[in-house]
Amino acid sequence: MTAKERDEAKKQTEMLAALRKQHSDQVKQAQALLKEQQNVRKTLRGAMKAGPRTVPQLAEATGLPSAEVLWQVTAMKKYGLVIEEGLNEDYEYYLYALSEEVKR
Amino acid sequence: MSDNRLDVDTLVVGGGIAGMQASLDLADQGYQVALVERDPSIGGKMIGLSKVFPTLDCCSCITTPKMAAVAHHDNIPLLTYSEVESVASNKNGFVAQVLRKPRYVQEEDCTGCRSCELVCPIDLPDDENEFGRTSHRVIYVPFTTAVPQTALIDLDHCIYCGKCIKACPPDAIDFTQQPEHLEIEAKTIVLATGYEVTPYDAKKEYGAGKLGNVIDALMMERLLAPTGPYGRVLRPSDGKQPDSIAYVQCAGSRDLTLGVSYCSRVCCMYAIKQAMLLSGALPMADITIYYMDIRTFGKGYEQFYQNAKTMGIEFVKGKVARITEDENQNPVVRVELIDENSRVAERTHDLVVLSVGMLPGWNPQATFGVPVAEAGFIQIPDCNVSPTVTTQPGIYATGTAAGPMDIVDTIMTAGAAAAEAAAYMQNHKEQEPAVPEAAPAMRDKRSTVHA
Repeated sequence: MTAKERDEAKKQTEMLAALRKQHSDQVKQAQALLKEQQNVRKTLRGAMKAGPRTVPQLAEATGLPSAEVLWQVTAMKKYGLVIEEGLNEDYEYYLYALSEEVKR
Repeated sequence: MSDNRLDVDTLVVGGGIAGMQASLDLADQGYQVALVERDPSIGGKMIGLSKVFPTLDCCSCITTPKMAAVAHHDNIPLLTYSEVESVASNKNGFVAQVLRKPRYVQEEDCTGCRSCELVCPIDLPDDENEFGRTSHRVIYVPFTTAVPQTALIDLDHCIYCGKCIKACPPDAIDFTQQPEHLEIEAKTIVLATGYEVTPYDAKKEYGAGKLGNVIDALMMERLLAPTGPYGRVLRPSDGKQPDSIAYVQCAGSRDLTLGVSYCSRVCCMYAIKQAMLLSGALPMADITIYYMDIRTFGKGYEQFYQNAKTMGIEFVKGKVARITEDENQNPVVRVELIDENSRVAERTHDLVVLSVGMLPGWNPQATFGVPVAEAGFIQIPDCNVSPTVTTQPGIYATGTAAGPMDIVDTIMTAGAAAAEAAAYMQNHKEQEPAVPEAAPAMRDKRSTVHA
């Protein structure tokens, strides 16, 4: 890193810190949302470690409402954290598993 | 185009299919058109739909070429994420004040690569495009085929972690952006402000939006679209692949309790279309349409309805009185079966779709001085002869801004509005004082005026 790049990185860090201070209430709320999301994702990842699971199975394992599980799984699938692995044996629900990226 | 002023022939308000078509029809004739869209992308409602009736052509395949054509047209300055705040008349036509909302991403630098979106740590419900069924990040490109492919930041949920700044190859992130104001002078205006659907949670008899497996037809369009949230049709309460799906017709139209006395025209046809698409997507599913009467008014529409019946879709005459749910969140429909001596029955389905109607998207009265008719759609004084001409000379209305209509009629009125605007500009030009041949001084003056 050159001196100029270091200088720019420092300015950027200061700018972000100032913005966090300026919008502190809203940043706190967003941080709380992030923390909650991270906890839910950790629980879901834990429930999927044993293998592919359906939404009702994940809901039962985690205690989360099934609609919330579907939303989280859909969001994780969109960003490549979860993959779909076909229908269950009753042909009613799709199975979801951790992607290779997450397993690594 | 200077930084804060734009002179054009026509200002088109709304970048859905109506506004895009009107813009292209005018721009192809050589007119300069400013297209103003309030959302971050053009495409309107149509880009979110699955297929069109009665041909079952893919909506994306029709809409995306038009979006690209608008974005790349030399005669169309495109202003997305912008709103017309006020309009005044002057001797040349109109002067509009336009607010350009900040994206916090430099539009000219962003390539739409989504590197920022992939590193952003927070997921938010995608209410704008997916009815909250999936997520987008705090920084995001609105959807895969958005035009322009430019990211924006939802600052209300940003923690200013700076990951997007580090990930952005062209350094396009700019947290210092402020709203900008632009003045647009135009000779004519085309209003293409579209529609909203009647709220699916308005009727307590239908669960007031609290039943997990009662959705509206626009949500079903997303479930049927290949780009939809789940990539397939699943019910929202638990991700079950539905075996039994019911449509409730007139769930927002012809209903005085919602203040909507009119027929929204498209609901019968879109329900039949969706039922056909569901038959393809879920071949084992039972699909029922509860209706008061079926209105198939357009070319090829009645045949489409007959085909649906032949495919095994069940049409049940009767108005649904109430929807509740059982212990497994299956919706239970209470309906009077008119063809069975008006016997009242309760039927359980996996998923119920409310065929919601159309409401005006926006009231232009305050901004454009264009009055609306009783239902709230733009008043068209002579709708049989001039279906796009408003009460204000030089201002035209197209698509569902003027009343409920389908995509075919919307595209036709877009062409009509463009033709009316072009004729108005041509006539206005011809009405300017004629220049005598033997008056070179005056001819010079005229040429200066038009230079």
